[in-house]
Amino acid sequence: MMEITLNINEREYTVQIIETETLLDVLREKLGLTGTKRGCEVGECGACTVIMDGKAVNSCLILAAQAAGSRIRTVEGMTRNGQLHPLQLSFLKHDAVHCGFCTPGMLMSAESLLEHNPHPNAEEIKTALAGNLCRCTGYKQIIEAVEDAVKK
Amino acid sequence: MTYHRPHTLQELQHMLSEYGNNMHLLAGGTDLLVEARRSYFVAKGHIVDIFRLSELKTLSEDADKLVLGAGLTHDDIAHHPLIQKFASLLSAACSQIGSQQIRNRGTIGGNLCNASPCADTVPPLMALDAELELLSATGSRLVPVRQFFEKPYRPRLAENEVIMALHFKKLSAQQKSAFYKLGRRNAAAISRIDMAVVLKTNAQKRIEEVRIAPGSVFPVWQRVAQAEEYLLGKEANQAHFKKAGEIVARRMIEISGRRWSTPYKEPVVAALTKRTLMMALTQKKSSDT
Repeated sequence: MMEITLNINEREYTVQIIETETLLDVLREKLGLTGTKRGCEVGECGACTVIMDGKAVNSCLILAAQAAGSRIRTVEGMTRNGQLHPLQLSFLKHDAVHCGFCTPGMLMSAESLLEHNPHPNAEEIKTALAGNLCRCTGYKQIIEAVEDAVKK
Repeated sequence: MTYHRPHTLQELQHMLSEYGNNMHLLAGGTDLLVEARRSYFVAKGHIVDIFRLSELKTLSEDADKLVLGAGLTHDDIAHHPLIQKFASLLSAACSQIGSQQIRNRGTIGGNLCNASPCADTVPPLMALDAELELLSATGSRLVPVRQFFEKPYRPRLAENEVIMALHFKKLSAQQKSAFYKLGRRNAAAISRIDMAVVLKTNAQKRIEEVRIAPGSVFPVWQRVAQAEEYLLGKEANQAHFKKAGEIVARRMIEISGRRWSTPYKEPVVAALTKRTLMMALTQKKSSDT
């Protein structure tokens, strides 16, 4: 066991962890931040995507110990003063949420893209979301939702 | 299991000598954490996390060489202007690895150490004739990348060694290069076949220099000397590139044997060789072909 401090959504959490636990394990099981989803656990599906030091990463492939000292953002940190983020509103408007399991990861990947490239074209959006699987929507609505958010 | 995060190369060297035979070196974790979930995985006593080690994230140049820290991520390499300018086939390869999330964590050193036969950074590094700088507790040594692999998943790296940097000569404006990745789909694919080439032609369109380095074609990476020799001095055109492709496919069968995938791979390897050479000649990207 070891003690680490994680900075998540601009709040510090000090937790006891097992050295082999992933960031995903700690977010969900120890901190109750269950917006981040556990999917394939091999870095294929993107359901566990969070933003770490400004970059979209798979939290299933990062040890919690490695995340100490980083700034981490999860889907829980997207709302501001109880207001949904423009990307979240756009996802709702475009029916880009069906079962909802991939949505937090999609939002994190999209948010990270817009921070690096505020005006991406459709190809760039597809590339940025290529690491996030959705089995419901067929992706079209998700890409449209991001395109629409870009325009605003 | 104990977690360690060295902050300097000196601290890393100390850990290499202390825990060398009982540790997992952890960089981006995109391979190790997947492996760690398998039933046959044998956990060792220490994890040495080198992901943030700033001395492994440097990139320097002199008049004719680039030196890349092994801790640079695929995303770092894909976007670095010096690599785009002097080794565009490497930035092309790194921009197509895995997904954005994987490129943000996976490192070039890790890709080499994992030594998967479909590692996308190896064909470009073979075509660049790169050398690897290996660090141990006692010092460092340079090894050509073509000698670094013993067999799939088995790099020639001692227990107490780590890849510190990669050295290669800059490609000149006359040395055109190209990289082609063939996967089962476009997004986040594992490579079925890779092709990396460097091509230099003279004013008469004759080939002065050519390097052909495929991936997922031979058990251990090698350039295809027979196809390179065939092309030297010939005019750079479709017909000669086609013949070179046939030589690459023939060498694949001679070395790797006839396998279940051969009826598919034989024509595809030949076609990809031709296509990648044409990409280098015309400087078009794979998305245009």
